[in-house]
Amino acid sequence: MSMKKIITLCLLFFVLSIAYNNSFASSEVGGKQETSLNEKVGTKNLSGVNLWIVELYNNDRFMYAVVVVLVMAALGSIMAFGTDLVLKHFGINVSRISHSE
Amino acid sequence: MDLFNISLPVAGIEFNVLLLILIGFCVGVLGGFFGVGGGWIVTPALNIFGFHMAFAIGTDLSNIFGQTIGAVKKHQKMGNIDWKLGIISILTSVIGLEIGSEVIIAMEKAGDVGVIVRWCYMLLLACLGAYMLYDYFVIQSRQLNETDLDGNNSENKKNGRTKISEKLHRINIPPMISFPASGIDSVSVWIIFLIFLITGFLSGFLGVGGGFIIMPALIYLIGLPTTVAVGTSLITVLFSGAYGCFTYALKGRVELVAAFIMLLGASIGAQIGSTAVKYVKGYGIRLLFAIMIIFAGCSVGFEQIYKIFQIKFYQTFAEIVLMGTAIFMTFMIIARLLLESRKEKTLKNKSE
Repeated sequence: MSMKKIITLCLLFFVLSIAYNNSFASSEVGGKQETSLNEKVGTKNLSGVNLWIVELYNNDRFMYAVVVVLVMAALGSIMAFGTDLVLKHFGINVSRISHSE
Repeated sequence: MDLFNISLPVAGIEFNVLLLILIGFCVGVLGGFFGVGGGWIVTPALNIFGFHMAFAIGTDLSNIFGQTIGAVKKHQKMGNIDWKLGIISILTSVIGLEIGSEVIIAMEKAGDVGVIVRWCYMLLLACLGAYMLYDYFVIQSRQLNETDLDGNNSENKKNGRTKISEKLHRINIPPMISFPASGIDSVSVWIIFLIFLITGFLSGFLGVGGGFIIMPALIYLIGLPTTVAVGTSLITVLFSGAYGCFTYALKGRVELVAAFIMLLGASIGAQIGSTAVKYVKGYGIRLLFAIMIIFAGCSVGFEQIYKIFQIKFYQTFAEIVLMGTAIFMTFMIIARLLLESRKEKTLKNKSE
């Protein structure tokens, strides 16, 4: 149930983000401002994952943003699951608690 | 230590991996325990150690998003989240936030707004911290000593509600709404809207995530039990973290490698912090939170002195106070978790 709610929140956030992105892009149609969106990072001496990240950053900023969000969400969930297992192993487990002060 | 330095390709700097994990871990513990994002610790920390401010904010927001997912899940398991109230808080805070940021923009036209914001920030932290300490040492201890005719402690001992929240609950302006998950039978929707409008306004005006404003508001104004306030506050933190992560990444201001490494420490910390809530009583959380925000207020005060007199020492001292408080609090929370869990284990073994 909790994961469903988290997914709903994530979807809500994505809709808002896309709306925000569109308004952001349309406000720049006049081409007056060269914002930081156009900045490029050098790929010299880079290889492997670092090169892939920088190429994504340089070529498709929207995909870069999507990758950042997905990576953070996935890593956060995996690490939480792993840490939970370790804590359980040491006898530190949680269940519903009483809310008295 | 150079051995642990790695190259961060997007930010174009070298950074120590251990330092990133340590910063992440501390803020994860504090975030999970207090229901805050902890941006006020991470952003200056990354900035001090060489991150450009925009990268520090963007990377921090990404880390907050990742660490809060696990913390929310754990608090949900403990029954500490009121989803209905959390979602209302997000929707209403957004309006307040917009008003707050509009006020800032209007004030900017008149002159340097930074000084005013810092004074307000310092004042808010000082007042909030002082009130929380006063509540802990004076009001609650008085209430705990009060007994009714049957010799039982007052109801306030059980729910920890303040007189302010009780008064707000009595205001009968329809429509009324109930929050069963928080133990609130009936409260005016307008009161809830007004409270979140104000917390949202403060977030927008001060330029902060808002966890440290919403958490006390949930306890002292709406009357939530401390643990539920911590969990519910994390809903707002999760949402603002996700939104900030995406928009900052879109502007190219998130260093993915740094955020990834920091999250390794932060998500472990967030699990530990969230679990510690099980072992520390509501008033204990309030006390630690009060101490932390008072020190944070002192740090802002030293920063203000630096801005006025341009004496570098005060800026360094402000950073030391902030980092020192974060590390000390992390240590306190972990120590408490270990002690209490060991006690619980011993009791369990004895009963078997």
